[in-house]
Amino acid sequence: MEFWREHRTAIMTVIVVAALLGLARLGMSANDWVVTILRGLSVGAVIFLVAAGFSIILGLMDVLNLAHGALFMLGAYMTWSVYVRPDTIVDLLTPGLLLAAGFALMPVWRQAAARTPARGRRIWPVLALAAAALILVRVGPRLPISIWDPKVYQNSPIVWTQNAQTGMLASLIRPAVAEGGLPIWLTWLAVLAAGVLAALATAGLGRRSGLVRTTGRAALRSLLLFALLIGLAALFFAFNDPLTNVWIALNSNWRFLIAVVLATLAGALLGGLMEATLVRPLYERPIYQIMLTFGLAFIGTEIVRAVWGRTGLTMPRPALFDGTGEGCPATGLGEWWRNHCATILVTIGGEEARIRTYNELFLIVVGLIVLVSVWLLLQRSRLGMIIRAGVQDGEMVEALGINVRRVFTLVFALGVGLAALGGALAAPSMGLSDAMGATLLLGALIALAIGGLTSFAGAAVGSVLVGLLQQFMIKFGALGIKLPFLAEPFKPSPSLVPASTVLLMVLVLLILPQGLFGRKE
Amino acid sequence: MSNLLEVRGIDTFIGQFHILEEVSLTVPEGAIVALLGRNGAGKTTTLKSILGLTPPRSGQVIFAGEEIQGLPSYEIAAMGVGYVPEHRAIFRDLSVYENLKLAERKKSDLARKEAMIFELFPDLKRLIKLGGANLSGGQQQMLALARALVPDNRLLLIDEPTEGLAPVIIEAMMEAIRRLAATTTILLVEQNFLVAGQLAESYVIVDEGRVVQTGVMADLLDDDAAIRRYLGAG
Repeated sequence: MEFWREHRTAIMTVIVVAALLGLARLGMSANDWVVTILRGLSVGAVIFLVAAGFSIILGLMDVLNLAHGALFMLGAYMTWSVYVRPDTIVDLLTPGLLLAAGFALMPVWRQAAARTPARGRRIWPVLALAAAALILVRVGPRLPISIWDPKVYQNSPIVWTQNAQTGMLASLIRPAVAEGGLPIWLTWLAVLAAGVLAALATAGLGRRSGLVRTTGRAALRSLLLFALLIGLAALFFAFNDPLTNVWIALNSNWRFLIAVVLATLAGALLGGLMEATLVRPLYERPIYQIMLTFGLAFIGTEIVRAVWGRTGLTMPRPALFDGTGEGCPATGLGEWWRNHCATILVTIGGEEARIRTYNELFLIVVGLIVLVSVWLLLQRSRLGMIIRAGVQDGEMVEALGINVRRVFTLVFALGVGLAALGGALAAPSMGLSDAMGATLLLGALIALAIGGLTSFAGAAVGSVLVGLLQQFMIKFGALGIKLPFLAEPFKPSPSLVPASTVLLMVLVLLILPQGLFGRKE
Repeated sequence: MSNLLEVRGIDTFIGQFHILEEVSLTVPEGAIVALLGRNGAGKTTTLKSILGLTPPRSGQVIFAGEEIQGLPSYEIAAMGVGYVPEHRAIFRDLSVYENLKLAERKKSDLARKEAMIFELFPDLKRLIKLGGANLSGGQQQMLALARALVPDNRLLLIDEPTEGLAPVIIEAMMEAIRRLAATTTILLVEQNFLVAGQLAESYVIVDEGRVVQTGVMADLLDDDAAIRRYLGAG
């Protein structure tokens, strides 16, 4: 009885979903049914990656991160860039590390900022920031970075995608050259200066009242980090060409893996920076916060349009999931592994079912791995304990001697990293466009409303339900549903696909206002 | 006896409201000091101001010889200040064990203090795997106090430890606090004057955000006028 009361909603959900799936089975053949379920799970896995990060951020920090969809999209575009143009990424390493070096000295800048008068006009941080921006605008175009250009067809992302697909990258990539008459070391010095100025400005703007204590050890550590970053920047500059060549020579599976990892890390870094600089000052003002994240979503979309162009892109699948030649389609997992087939043919109920290895196997498996790892992180680690406690009472967690603000930054980084991972994985299956972020965020929000806004289990179940419903509606759009009293079978039009998920959300919320696994406030 | 905690003329605002005006008090090392006053007099805000949860706008808070006003709460807590809030603030989604574990500042804290905590509150040992949401009021209060005992705290800020508890449990809580006083210093907010009278050596009365009377507890017990006027009890 106790068990029933505690898991009532979960049991009811399973029964209702099983009944609906059974009903859907009546309208289609067994092979269609299985493939549609797999497709639903695959879409659900991507939605889950976005929804999970969104819900953890909302639960712990009460931040409604409307930029989450845009960050998902940036994850996808970053993956495309790393995969298709490794040389650009190598070119970006040196300036990136030099900028970061300025921020490595943050403890020193903070100490310096604390020495300036507390009250009085704080105009210098703004000036420093303006100076940093000016330097970057002046120096930026002269940096030796070879990059695509959406405005020139021969050099556009679309053409580069084709080059990557046909394996022509190695022969087409040219080493970048610095433009203008400035000696290169002066250019790098200017970038470093911009980093220092920007970090100084951040320290000045983020000055907290009261004491700032920097121990000698912390200062020394930041100096070492500074030196290390500059050393790395010099190293990457010196060995730019060999590194590019080695990278491009890697097979596409490794390049894809590197792209996914880098995009996820970049997303996490972006999330952490976003929390520390933009979101943090607004914790007391929720309306401004929503406006901020809403605005950032637009900025993200415009960045995508400016850098990668307005035309949608495709992302080539790594070779492991792209084979079509001899021995393909495979008839089983072993054969797929040997021949790297794009599809596996399975016979279900006497008919053939075509299962795409990337979408319907890989994505689902990765989704499951992330589900389990994040669950373990939340349930078994100290960070997870702090997050679960902080969702309820952040003040008390702080009173126990835990720096909750730092945990906030970490969790923001984790959440955005998950979204970027979602984008990275979705790129080869869904393609890239400037609308993909908004579309997916809507799906994730509906999934969360169904599952319960701040529940991790709810995010998983809601995402799977939305994915399944979408895919079944699409399938029935092709097959039609035979209804009594109707001569023609009813075919849901494409616009009914998103509408059906909203309808499901309305139904669930009518019965359970907190969503399936939400807690009553 | 030197003072472990000195609060010198702090003013605290919550939004536009001036909650504490020029509040000063001292807590000698090893003592139990009772912070008394009616509902809404500013007792809880005083504790929160010391811990930096509602930082004072002016004045000084000196803990173990160091100025701590303006420091973030987690740093103040890490210096050795434990907090047992009103309404306990037990984490519902965490088990009793996790509630204790979270309070660790060093990895070995709980292992070192476990025996002492379970001797003080034998019930907790039995409930160790239970979720925080399933505890009774008295069990929550024990856990809240136990949580403050996990790290090496020099000062405990305890807010209303007997509120809403059955007499038997109040007895147990008092016994626990008495035994803690042998090793730590305690600033105790207590509505129940009988409890405070038995535990504390000295007292501070706040009323409408100001300190109105301080002294030795034994004297207050005879001061019917003050008791009636500020504490509304007889």
